[in-house]
Amino acid sequence: MTRFVMVIDQRRCIGCQSCTVACRTWNELPIDIIYNPVVSEGVLGVWPNVHQTFTPLLCMHCDNPPCTGCCPCKASQQEPDGIVWVDEKKCMGCKVCVNACPYGARDVNHKEGFVRKCNFCKDRVREGEKPYCVNTCHQKARIFGDLDDPTSEVSQLVNSLQVNTIFPELGTNPQVYYIPDLGGGNR
Amino acid sequence: MTETIDIHAPGVEVKKSACYFCHQNCGVLAYVLDGKVIKIEGDPQHPTNTGGLCCRGNIALQHIDHPARINHPLKRKGERGGNEWEKISWDQAISEIAERINQIKAESGAEAVATAGGTLRTEDWARRRFMNMFGSPNSFHNALLCWIPTFMVETAVSGWSPFETDLGDSRVVILWGFNPGASGMPGMHGYYDLHKAGLKVIVVDPRYSETAAHADLWLPLRPGSDTALSLALLHVVLFEQLYNQEFVANWCVGFEELWEHMKQYTPEWAAPLTWLEPDLIRQAARMYAKNTPGNIQWGCTADQLGKSSGAGMHARAILRAICGNLDCPGGDLMPGPSQNYLCDEELEANDWLPEEQKAKQIGSNKFKLTSWPGYQRISDVAKETWGKAPTAEWMCEAHGPSVFKAILTGDPYQVRALIVNATNPVNSYGDSKMTLAALKQVEFLVTCDYWMTPAALYSDYVIPIAGALERPTLHTNYGVTDSLMASQRAIQPMYERHTDYSFWRDLALATGQDADQWPWLNEEEVFYYIIYPLGLPVESYDQFVEAYRFYYPPLHFYKYGTNGFCTPSRRVELKSSILEELGYPALPTYIGPAENEEDDPAVAAEYPLVLTTGGGFMPYHHSEQFQIQSVRYLRHEPYFTINPVKAEELRIKEGDWCWIETRRGRIRQRANIEPSVDPRVIYAQRGWWYPERGAEGDEPFGCLESNVNVLSSVDDDHCDPIGGSWANRGLLCKVYKVSYWDTIDTTWSIPGSAAQPGVSVLPSESKLAYEPIPFDTSAPFELPEGLTWDYPTKLAWDIERGLAYDPESGWLYHPETYVYYDLETHYAYDPDTETLVDEEGTRYDMTTKQPIGEAQADATAVENPVGDQPDAATNKAALEQAPAKDEGEEAL
Repeated sequence: MTRFVMVIDQRRCIGCQSCTVACRTWNELPIDIIYNPVVSEGVLGVWPNVHQTFTPLLCMHCDNPPCTGCCPCKASQQEPDGIVWVDEKKCMGCKVCVNACPYGARDVNHKEGFVRKCNFCKDRVREGEKPYCVNTCHQKARIFGDLDDPTSEVSQLVNSLQVNTIFPELGTNPQVYYIPDLGGGNR
Repeated sequence: MTETIDIHAPGVEVKKSACYFCHQNCGVLAYVLDGKVIKIEGDPQHPTNTGGLCCRGNIALQHIDHPARINHPLKRKGERGGNEWEKISWDQAISEIAERINQIKAESGAEAVATAGGTLRTEDWARRRFMNMFGSPNSFHNALLCWIPTFMVETAVSGWSPFETDLGDSRVVILWGFNPGASGMPGMHGYYDLHKAGLKVIVVDPRYSETAAHADLWLPLRPGSDTALSLALLHVVLFEQLYNQEFVANWCVGFEELWEHMKQYTPEWAAPLTWLEPDLIRQAARMYAKNTPGNIQWGCTADQLGKSSGAGMHARAILRAICGNLDCPGGDLMPGPSQNYLCDEELEANDWLPEEQKAKQIGSNKFKLTSWPGYQRISDVAKETWGKAPTAEWMCEAHGPSVFKAILTGDPYQVRALIVNATNPVNSYGDSKMTLAALKQVEFLVTCDYWMTPAALYSDYVIPIAGALERPTLHTNYGVTDSLMASQRAIQPMYERHTDYSFWRDLALATGQDADQWPWLNEEEVFYYIIYPLGLPVESYDQFVEAYRFYYPPLHFYKYGTNGFCTPSRRVELKSSILEELGYPALPTYIGPAENEEDDPAVAAEYPLVLTTGGGFMPYHHSEQFQIQSVRYLRHEPYFTINPVKAEELRIKEGDWCWIETRRGRIRQRANIEPSVDPRVIYAQRGWWYPERGAEGDEPFGCLESNVNVLSSVDDDHCDPIGGSWANRGLLCKVYKVSYWDTIDTTWSIPGSAAQPGVSVLPSESKLAYEPIPFDTSAPFELPEGLTWDYPTKLAWDIERGLAYDPESGWLYHPETYVYYDLETHYAYDPDTETLVDEEGTRYDMTTKQPIGEAQADATAVENPVGDQPDAATNKAALEQAPAKDEGEEAL
């Protein structure tokens, strides 16, 4: 089996938001839709003992996605390899899935009347390439691959380091893993 | 592949193009269908970015056909600044501009035509070629804020700027005022990996930057005090004896003088100036000097400190040298000009510019190292060493702000025409109000740009320029290194856009320059001409890009081992003779930043905060990309950073619009309250203008409202006397909230303040940061008739015969054979017989100088012939017996 996941190395992320812009241009998104914002609490601490962490967000492509079962027209669906996506031809724009997603990863395209979300650049991935945000990251902070392949970089990282997920307590089992930035020069 | 565009469709070509929205020149794969770029992607094979692209790189397709782009040559209709234009053809625009500048040249001389440039990313050798053949020395860039003074000071000290860091084998790197985390994305990735692998990283930055976050040692100094820190680091390295004694003994001159001179600059002296603990300075110095090989990475800060810049550059150049980090594996490499392909300098036709025109270069009487006086000296030494010289286009320019002042004041003479190419001067040059006033006032203005900038708005002609996808790019790092990166044209320029090379070439031909001097029709032809000496099996430039893409020669270390360093003495000149000759201190001598608490307590009382600007921030590069929605939405308004402690004191809340005021004026930005700066520091974003606001009013596009350059000073006494750079960092300011009745201050001034209208000071009345030290190059003794004193060799020469003069004995001698010659008769001295011999072998008496008897002369001539090749050993021995020995001979 194949299970596509993304690992985000927060030690490397410098908050340049290249992925945010790249995603928009590659997927030709309207200006009010962002698939992958980069968020931060800002610089924390007391000068000069300060620290800052950036958290790039995107669809978590959960193992147990709350957004698929609720879809009345079966437009929001999950592939066997874990990619959650919306079939624009079937979607009627009822926004049930937008409410269901605890990560805020879905937006309604009001112009065209359907829901849009990150689909791990499904078409690229099917052709053996990486999602565009992974390609564009200068810092190599985004790592993409097959978690079920023990030789893949993502599998090795997830299994060897302390990785976090967002809202694990909700039982969605998100498949975007974060390597936290603990400061101290990151050796 | 994406939802709407299939890049694998039949007929789609992949072109190896490049992004040129900043200096990194990342590789881009452009997918082209029917002459249109349909998609771009980072090139995974490119050495710089390995597939990565930042925000700017990704918006290339929005940039290429943006509705606000200028697509046709425009001619002004109606009043200047009225924004009414007539579309004209390219040929008409070129011929009308040519006619006008030829007329100005005929009336006021070629020097009345000046050109302003931007940053690196244009074919500037072509501009220089045009200007040299036209006869004007007044072309300039923002070069003085970006590396050029550093390059020139380092070249004066150690023969070439050691700017290529061999980080793979390095053990420590100082990132000095350099934040690749916001300005050089690909570099940041490399630093992170190397840091993880054990490279020690020292970051000097007043702000907790993306880079400082990954440092082993972070020195959060007072903005603008970098020079004091450099001197203190050097002091520690010297007096804790951490330097490489072997290198200093063999390869450095002036060490004793340096030792004496540096005694004053202790870490305790630097502590109140830099706000750093003396122990932290010592720790940094030890970390750098003990972990050799190591590097000091250049950062823009070095050139943006105003009057204190020069001494800091000099101190860091010495620091590198005495720690033995020059040109060694893992150290700071000095590539020298490329011997394998043509350098920019060889295309510039500098010989065409007459000497009397060189002397007219504006600013060359004040800031000598980066204009003709200093450049000529360095270029002569470089040509002796390498056969090639640094690029004149960057290293030898008019002083930009002085040209703007000349437009306004006619001092030293009236500049009547200005061609602005690839720059938005109001946002990028210092004292924006003055710059804007100059653009409004100049008699004839032409702007070559992508966009309608404030400069374009006041222009008589606006020329549409092709972007990076529409032209090939050849990146040779200002033409002063030995590697290059090449990228090809994805598509031909759209609409009536032309590349800047076509502009200069067409203008050259239209002004009457000889077509034989411009034999290359387009970039591909000239780039092929440049790379042809590489001898690679390619028949065109495009083939070179397809097959090779870049050229990195194998690294050669210790190049100085064969010929010595490229300085007058062939050693690293810790005490720089070139600086001394130009009238500057030969050893790094501290001057405080342009405005500081120590020297100007009265100013500091009114303006208690220290302002730092000029730092890069994503997603913009300088004043670019503000039109593009896809990046503008990330940061749509300007923010300055203030510490929470200070913000609370000033009752400023997050997001409040505030005025930032210096003695020159005030601007407004919004408050970003976070502890990433010291409570005494304000960090303001650079480059801000509002292209969406339209061209109405005195300040079109809101170009002064949030523009940090309103706050910077270009007074002569605030500029670095050596290189001429003005201060963006370490200025004194105050911050207060914008109130309801505030209007924007529009008066311009040199200098002045927001509270009081500015006082205009004629440039010739204003003082320099310190008076030039008179430098005497005349002979220290009375020169006998017929001899010429040569200052660099410290010898008097009989040039006709190639003989040097020994002032103590009063004899001439040959510098290689050490044969002595009589001063008046030029007969050679024969030590064996103690007689004089002329070229034919006739002997003369030593005192009377009369011929000695024929027979005796014949006999000795056979016994001890004195011919064209005298016996050097005998004569050297003779030299030791000679009445006085000149010290200078040893060096020869």
